[in-house]
Amino acid sequence: MRKVALITGVTGQDGAYLAALLLSKGYVVHGIKRRASSFNTGRVEHLYRDRHEKGVSFFLHYGDLTDSTNLIRLVQETKPTEIYNLAAQSHVQVSFETPEYTANADGLGTLRLLEAIRILGMEKTVRFYQASTSELYGKAKEVPQRETTPFYPRSPYGAAKLYAYWITVNYREAYGMHASNGILFNHEGPTRGETFVTRKITRAVAAIDARLQSVLYLGNLDAKRDWGHARDYVDGMWRILQQPEPDDYVLATGETHSVREFVELAFSHVGRTIEWRGKGVDERGIDTRSGATLVRVDPVYFRPTEVDHLIGDPSKAHAKLGWRHSVSFAELVQEMVECDIRALAEERSAEAGGSVVAPVRRVARIREAR
Amino acid sequence: MPSEVALILGISGQDGAYLARLLLERGFVVHGTSRDREMASFANLLRLGLGERVHLHSAVPSDFRSVLQVISKVRPSRIFNLASQSSVGLSFDQPVETLDSTIGGTLNILEAMRTLNLAARFYNASSSECFGNTDRNPADEETPFRPRSPYGVGKAAAFWAVANYREAYSLFACSGILFNHESPLRPTRYVTQKIVRGAADIAEGAAGRLSLGELDIARDWGWAPEYVEAMARMLEFDRPEDFVIATGKLSTLEDFVSQAFGYFGLDWRKYVEIDPELKRPSDIRVSVGNPAKAERLLGWRAETMMPALVDRLLDAEMERRRAEYSVPSNVRAAAGE
Repeated sequence: MRKVALITGVTGQDGAYLAALLLSKGYVVHGIKRRASSFNTGRVEHLYRDRHEKGVSFFLHYGDLTDSTNLIRLVQETKPTEIYNLAAQSHVQVSFETPEYTANADGLGTLRLLEAIRILGMEKTVRFYQASTSELYGKAKEVPQRETTPFYPRSPYGAAKLYAYWITVNYREAYGMHASNGILFNHEGPTRGETFVTRKITRAVAAIDARLQSVLYLGNLDAKRDWGHARDYVDGMWRILQQPEPDDYVLATGETHSVREFVELAFSHVGRTIEWRGKGVDERGIDTRSGATLVRVDPVYFRPTEVDHLIGDPSKAHAKLGWRHSVSFAELVQEMVECDIRALAEERSAEAGGSVVAPVRRVARIREAR
Repeated sequence: MPSEVALILGISGQDGAYLARLLLERGFVVHGTSRDREMASFANLLRLGLGERVHLHSAVPSDFRSVLQVISKVRPSRIFNLASQSSVGLSFDQPVETLDSTIGGTLNILEAMRTLNLAARFYNASSSECFGNTDRNPADEETPFRPRSPYGVGKAAAFWAVANYREAYSLFACSGILFNHESPLRPTRYVTQKIVRGAADIAEGAAGRLSLGELDIARDWGWAPEYVEAMARMLEFDRPEDFVIATGKLSTLEDFVSQAFGYFGLDWRKYVEIDPELKRPSDIRVSVGNPAKAERLLGWRAETMMPALVDRLLDAEMERRRAEYSVPSNVRAAAGE
């Protein structure tokens, strides 16, 4: 049977892991990326070969979820059997700065894709996966959260994703489409965007250990999340689309940890023990051996509206999909710290080699300068 | 006296980076936007060594709140709108997003200036694509528009929006109608960088052929770092007016290709193949501008022209390659090079 996947948001963390997984399963994979002035395909570079070569099964296309005509043409030309809608303005903080665009891309963008399927008469031949998120639960109505827990989004991002969730359900019910939501709790990895808190921590641990940075600034240390590894979660996405019937599933580890625990564990991999002193915005994380302050709180990172205790109940995915996470919290933190330490070492040896470009560190500095 | 503040919407692109450098040299405090500050790699700013010297914000021009928010926070005295979908070819595949980002973005900025009653001076990036074919007569500020692509249609509409707000609300708002302007910061989806990199790959033995759409189109190619100087001067002029910015010199794409391969002592005919699939649905044959007004009123004229321009692009490309070879590939990927 022909297996052709179309992945929106292929240049992101999940898109790249999913593309690699589907290619390994023999799919032809078409990825959609957004135009950008600067290079944005670093995460899929290793999968890409020139389309003029023989036996190529991974293709990249320009596209944009705010343009219906463009989506229709891409679906028409690539004739997918599965569509994974992973494209979104996915940063919660940025959604407070660009709420209208976030609604347009994340909310209406999903509608445009579903409409493209309908307009092309492909309702019965294509399966649709919508990347829903634990941010939908926001101010959570119950703990842990499962498929039946009512939503209470707390950001423009969450509100836009709520529209996308329900319009996916509506098109399933109204037009009989095989359209499903995966409600994914936080999932991380070494290619997580550098401004997401987990990656920010592991990059800082590597830099502090190499004496290139002195202090890590964070927002709410007591924010608790259910953190898994993205590689496990893209397998869950694929399983959702292999079910005979479309449905919605929570994918989570079922465990919760605080930002504080993440910090402690990450520093322990470079042999440092953190002791917390002070309260609120004055709280500091001290290296017990040297007495140096390594972590401070900066209220600039507080969200206008914080979400509560998010912890997922993945029992339905366990029972129906046979899916469960395989990478533990400790393994996740370890892998991320080790990758960032390695990347930093390689970059420094390149600098020592007399290169005129030392790009990664410069990226780090520009972000800290803000 | 405190420094003047400039805001560049679309700072991550070629022109944004060069303009930021110029304004910093002139003593401006420079703020810039990109659609998503948290995700963009700002490779162009980094390449010019400006990463730590500009203040970056997230703003999507088609999102009114984000435009209003950044302008009211920064309170600039100069606003440069360089943000939009900027590829003519892509505009045929992505017409709606192209229009949203060009006309919608321009209107939102003008409306934000009105709402905030801001006495800033506004520059909008217009384009020679508004004219469509110019034949052999160089287009000037009086030449009627006849756009031939969704990109050109959007830019023409945005031009008239700027003129309308200038007349209706007395805003200091102007359009620079810029003809093609190149630099090493162009992404490879532009034909000029495709040719430059293709010729270098072939010279180094890394590739055998270069596929192009057609060679007999003719353009007026200038040097981007000089064109951002014209933008700055337009906002320093004593009244808001629109200007054509061009070299006035016409060359064919074949001239460009021939010069690029000639840089390596190669005959392009042996390496270039024509792929009709790369042709656009309706392309401009000839596009050339008359920059007399800019020279007369702004004292601006292009210095770098064809064919020396191709050599400068290749010098920069070969320099970039020498630098890149001493960095491991995973670090290059992470840095967005």
